[in-house]
Amino acid sequence: MDRTKTIACILTILLFLTVAACKKTPPLSVGSKNFTEQVILGEIIAQHVIQKLKINVEKKLNMGGTLLVHQSMESGQIDVYPEYTGTGLSSILKLNMTADPQGVFDRVREVYRSSYQMEWLDPLGFDNSFVMAVRRNDSDVQNIATLSDAENYQPGWKLGIGYEFESRPDGMPKLNTAYRLPFNGAPATMDLGLLYKALEQKQVNMIAANATDGQLSKDTIKTLTDDRHAFPPYQAALVVRGKALETYPELRKVLLQLSGKISAETMRKMNYAVDVEHSQPAEVAAGFLHSAGLQ
Amino acid sequence: MSPALVQDLITLTIEHIFLVVISVFIAALIAIPAGILLSRRQPLRRWLLGLTNIVQTIPSLALFGFLIPIPWIGGIGKRTAILALVLYALLPIVRGTLTGILGIDRAVRESAVAMGMTPKQLLWMVEMPLAVPVILSGIRVATVTSVGTATIAAAIGGGGLGVFIFRGIASVDSTLLLAGAVPAAFIALVSDGGLGWIERRLSPAY
Amino acid sequence: MTAAVEFIDVSCRIGNQPILRNLNLSVAPGETLVLLGRSGSGKTTALKLINALLFPSEGEVRVNGAATVSQDPIRLRRQVGYVIQDVGLFPHFTIGRNVGLVPELQGWAPGRIRERVKELLETVGLPESEFSHRYPRQLSGGQRQRVGIARALAADPAILLLDEPFGALDPVTRIELQDHFLALRSLTPKTTVFVTHDVQEALRLGTKIGLLNEGRLELLTTPKGFLSQKGGVAAQFLACLSTGEVR
Repeated sequence: MDRTKTIACILTILLFLTVAACKKTPPLSVGSKNFTEQVILGEIIAQHVIQKLKINVEKKLNMGGTLLVHQSMESGQIDVYPEYTGTGLSSILKLNMTADPQGVFDRVREVYRSSYQMEWLDPLGFDNSFVMAVRRNDSDVQNIATLSDAENYQPGWKLGIGYEFESRPDGMPKLNTAYRLPFNGAPATMDLGLLYKALEQKQVNMIAANATDGQLSKDTIKTLTDDRHAFPPYQAALVVRGKALETYPELRKVLLQLSGKISAETMRKMNYAVDVEHSQPAEVAAGFLHSAGLQ
Repeated sequence: MSPALVQDLITLTIEHIFLVVISVFIAALIAIPAGILLSRRQPLRRWLLGLTNIVQTIPSLALFGFLIPIPWIGGIGKRTAILALVLYALLPIVRGTLTGILGIDRAVRESAVAMGMTPKQLLWMVEMPLAVPVILSGIRVATVTSVGTATIAAAIGGGGLGVFIFRGIASVDSTLLLAGAVPAAFIALVSDGGLGWIERRLSPAY
Repeated sequence: MTAAVEFIDVSCRIGNQPILRNLNLSVAPGETLVLLGRSGSGKTTALKLINALLFPSEGEVRVNGAATVSQDPIRLRRQVGYVIQDVGLFPHFTIGRNVGLVPELQGWAPGRIRERVKELLETVGLPESEFSHRYPRQLSGGQRQRVGIARALAADPAILLLDEPFGALDPVTRIELQDHFLALRSLTPKTTVFVTHDVQEALRLGTKIGLLNEGRLELLTTPKGFLSQKGGVAAQFLACLSTGEVR
């Protein structure tokens, strides 16, 4: 009974504070989709903005899928969130994908500006597209660094893939048109969570992963370079509402400080910390800001 | 629905039924003798039932994680999926067999022994015939739940209607989701009805 | 003449619980021994020692001159008819198959089994044509117990054991079946051990009465001798008669 009362009191006070805060300036609202990487990025944005601009920030992380988050941007419920160029182009704008990262980025920036009054800031520095990974310690893959090299692999590839890679047109079909990989049997399709286990246990010798999977930061696994750009770019970047940029003149400059700061390796390590080591996203985000010298 | 989808639907449905039938069959081959054994060994009963109970609570992905490294029976594909399904199907059949046998009237068992039946005759002439309806209902429960659990076979490359469900989730395509879920529900209903019918037919006239 | 059934210094414990202590008695061929006693006096245990459902902890039970521990229990049991209060008919067999089961186990020819079943059902007053194809569930309690007796007699065993066979029946049916039992006995005399807690039944059916109390044999006598008892547990049982308590 007492505890309920206490909580009720705190909630009431918080409500008043929020209302009071609203009257001064509306808080900046940071959103994210519902998976680890997005939540970490959302935390990074929120913490960075609070520190640099000293303004009120409201976190709406873990919201849902791409469509929901985009709609929240349109209706003004959130002001900024991390998005991937490929997703913006194909899922939101329903435009055809191309292989050229800069081309895709320019295209989404242009269309978002004219259609939605939203701004794509310069990319964060990593590309979360599909990536093929092998066991680093296999003696016969020592000379294989790229997918072109992989075409000459004599034993043949026993491939493990997830259902997304299997069913998306920019997944398996793209791999097969760009490269002539020698396969050893049909690919084994399985749950993403089991892919790495299957690779480690030598049930397969190549898997289709996502470039920033936390598990890829293990040093037992190496990724092969997509030297013919089979997979379309999924560069991560911040999307901001034009209104928010007007309300906070300093916002653009502050957010741009994050551009180019997060490499695929950095992102993998952060995902690994949360997914495998069970750290809190907020702590991981703070750690990143600190080590990137942004604090 | 596109013709390719229909083709897939047929293949995957057959695969799904195959997974269920083979797993329940293997589970029954193990669980019925185990149930009979347990009906005779009380001390064994608690920990073996406990073990099958525990297996039941292991999430399928975790179970697959355990099974992948095991040589011969593990790995990727149908074999591992079937192994997992067999493990999940054991409990209801063991329980059915045990309940069926232990539920037999004490007087019936005693007079069978007193009439000079050998342990084998007791089992085949008295215990099994009387326990059959309960064993069958255990198999029915195992089958219906297996139809549902068999969708996880797709998580380890074992095929079945789970492929549609996994693809549907991966590509946010509700048509694919339904293409997997609806036939699975249909198979569950039909097998429940069919096995229920057999159960009633085999329940004696007495 | 060797005794058909003989208890020599028999004690029996189940777990740590002593059930029978130093039991000595013998049953001559053709005799009907009624073991009379209250619940828990050890009468059922004594009965199960005869057909090797239990074995003595000490001492020896001899059936047809040989100790039960030294005999093949399956063969022994097939030579001993056994009837219990709950009858224990096989619910999934017809009446005919129930009655013919021991002959079936002994490998009789089907024709001979059919003959025997017909004969036995007629003997216990259940016309074969009417009852043979029914299932136990479709019969009344009294009819079921008749089938139980017919089943015990099927392979013409030398020894018949009955454990309160009429205990669950209404008084009228009970008397009826007792009469049947007496008629059967005069037809084909058998060594019989009959367990009951009903003193009237004991006096009516026994050629000898053994009184069991807390695992000990208090008394072994004829019905006449039993009636002349003036004290002890026997007198308590006799008191039931005079108060008109029929049970």
